[in-house]
Amino acid sequence: MKFITPSGQELSCLRADPLLVEQELDVRPEVARALENAAGMRAGRVFWRSEHDHLYALELGDLGRGLPSLANVYGFWDRYEPRPPEHEIDADLLDFSVWVAGVIEGMGEADVRLVAQFAQQQTGRVKVTWPEGSVLRTPDERFVDLPGYPYPPRYVEIEGLRMAYVEEGSGDPILMLHGEPTWGYLYRHMIPPLAAVGRVIVPDQIGFGRSDKPVADNAYSYRAFVRWMRKFIFELDLTRITLVCQDWGGLVGLRVVAQVPERFARLVAMNTGIPDGQVTRSEAGVVERSGLGGAFMQWRRLSQRQKEFDLPAMMKTAVRGRALSDAEAAAYGAPFPSVEYQTAALLWPRQVPVRPDHPGAYENHAAIQTLRGLELPVLLPWAEGDAITRAGEGVLRSIFRNCAPPLPIKGAGHFIQEDAGEEVAGHIARWIQQTPVA
Amino acid sequence: MSRGLRAKPGWLAGLFPWEQHAISVNGRTMAYVDEGDRDGRPVLLLHGNPTWGFLYRDFVPPLAAAGYRAIVPDWVGAGYSDKPRVDSALTTAHHIADLVSLMDQLRLRRFVIVGQDWGGPQGVGAAMQRLERLDALVLMNTWLFTGYVGRFHSSPRPWTTWHAPLVGQFFMKRHKVLSHAGASIVSRRGMTDAEARAYHHVYDEPDSDHVVLTWPRTIPMREGDRGWQDMLAIERRLPELAGIPTLLIWAPEDNVFTIDYASRLKELLPHAEGPLTFDNAAHFLQDDRGPDIASAIVEFLDRTVGRSP
Repeated sequence: MKFITPSGQELSCLRADPLLVEQELDVRPEVARALENAAGMRAGRVFWRSEHDHLYALELGDLGRGLPSLANVYGFWDRYEPRPPEHEIDADLLDFSVWVAGVIEGMGEADVRLVAQFAQQQTGRVKVTWPEGSVLRTPDERFVDLPGYPYPPRYVEIEGLRMAYVEEGSGDPILMLHGEPTWGYLYRHMIPPLAAVGRVIVPDQIGFGRSDKPVADNAYSYRAFVRWMRKFIFELDLTRITLVCQDWGGLVGLRVVAQVPERFARLVAMNTGIPDGQVTRSEAGVVERSGLGGAFMQWRRLSQRQKEFDLPAMMKTAVRGRALSDAEAAAYGAPFPSVEYQTAALLWPRQVPVRPDHPGAYENHAAIQTLRGLELPVLLPWAEGDAITRAGEGVLRSIFRNCAPPLPIKGAGHFIQEDAGEEVAGHIARWIQQTPVA
Repeated sequence: MSRGLRAKPGWLAGLFPWEQHAISVNGRTMAYVDEGDRDGRPVLLLHGNPTWGFLYRDFVPPLAAAGYRAIVPDWVGAGYSDKPRVDSALTTAHHIADLVSLMDQLRLRRFVIVGQDWGGPQGVGAAMQRLERLDALVLMNTWLFTGYVGRFHSSPRPWTTWHAPLVGQFFMKRHKVLSHAGASIVSRRGMTDAEARAYHHVYDEPDSDHVVLTWPRTIPMREGDRGWQDMLAIERRLPELAGIPTLLIWAPEDNVFTIDYASRLKELLPHAEGPLTFDNAAHFLQDDRGPDIASAIVEFLDRTVGRSP
């Protein structure tokens, strides 16, 4: 367990939840002493981040005996969000228990795992996986004969969830990330031209497309989407990645770039951003947050009044460069047989951090500092007609120091991959070839 | 002065029809069943971890029918008694003081102690403070000594691991592995769901099963451990029980208090009868073989001290 020092700003966005409360550690002074040594303190808190990127603290308290008597473990959750899934907390606390066993003389780390298994078999408790019925999988037959998307799905397992992706071509990976409320299908016009210059990989984010869909709201958090995508990249062991992203594809992808920059070679960001909730002023002098203008706030409000999304209708209205056929529009509804499958899609607009104390705002703020230091070549194809992310290009231009000249895409709206997919893919393919990386 | 007890759920009435009384001991409310002739000889039936008075449901009717007064307390921290969330209210000495308080307030005299698991040391410990009023003793799958720890209690799989510092908070408190499954998984007879629920529903509330964790942590393993001195004090005074009719009843299939423990008790209490063994019974022999064991106890008491105090 690696102890870290979270900033006061991060802690101010989180709430502490007592999980383990030990009152009289000092009845076994050798144990109290061992924990004191392992934590490097007699009283106070040490923090660590778990496998699930959750922040935890071990708090020791000395009541005057000269050794810790109180020992509490806290989980820190986003202040305005529900607790994360209990099985994630269980898995993290089990890891902590194994650490404790390593610290206390006479205890075995393997015994803790064995006892957890025993308890699981005997009592059905201590489950560290998704409870039965908590995850939905869209039936395969809903994805048969999709127009323009003949690519066979491939799957990896991330934290017990099946994550789907398609792959075409060879060479350095070109990772293309979709956003709200779409899936890999959005990139179908761009796959052939880019598969000619690299190994195109198009995953469906958890909760979308052919990937598994936890039902409960609290399964999804900004942090979880970032974590899942990072683990996807590790699972496929992708390096020298050219990241292509739009909408939430960027909100997720840019955070992953900041976490593991060594794996990325180039960045193509389209109609997206990395909002940290800070106030900005548009060229016209209008106050905005993170480049998110009135059009986004309107969409956010509107989306949160919907009980269910009618995806085919929404996409038909939104796509403007060309007319979506009924079959194409239906493909956007394919992942969602009913509203239970739409949890993530319904949540995403709300999860965009628009104030500095919103979940994800601090992490984005910190990620931006990292991104500022990168030499990564950046291409920003931006739709001229997307009101939602209009100001976002300027924000990204102020973050990345190595940006290609502006590339406005005429006649395109928010779903630039539909409106001008081939054109944009052509620009990207040329830029990749003109922008060699070490 | 004592506060009322938490209301019992309707489904429990068929399994546990007796009213529990409330009495205040050392500032906490203790729940107890008090059935049978008030002038009959009091028989204190004492449970252990992680059970409550429900464990003795097959003992109350035969004892009452035979003219005895069956008193079944729930230890503070367990059953329908108060559930303090502090370690210091749940030490051996504290439990003993609670029972002494009950004995005194009910003015029990010429009584019998029947104890299993923690009911043994805590019952005998209390009786030793009122030795002049103790008439007979029945011990079942328990212990009253330091210096011998069996395989179950010294094994890290699962025992010492799942109540270890901090780790125990995860297994016992967060997951209630012992309070919610302990009684039913070792049942030889095979419990109904309702019976299993009767044992664990008293610990449904978060953090209510503090005693289920403090009890394992009070088992004295080495000198200096919490509970060592209390147990040693009992052990040293065992010779004073020489004149008290004593019966050992044992379930040799119990892997917690194996027959080795009975042999050790027999060395320390050479005057004791038994061990009278019961098969098809494990740690909670009162649940596995209730009516049979109850008649054995009635037979022993009728023969030695009788129903009239």
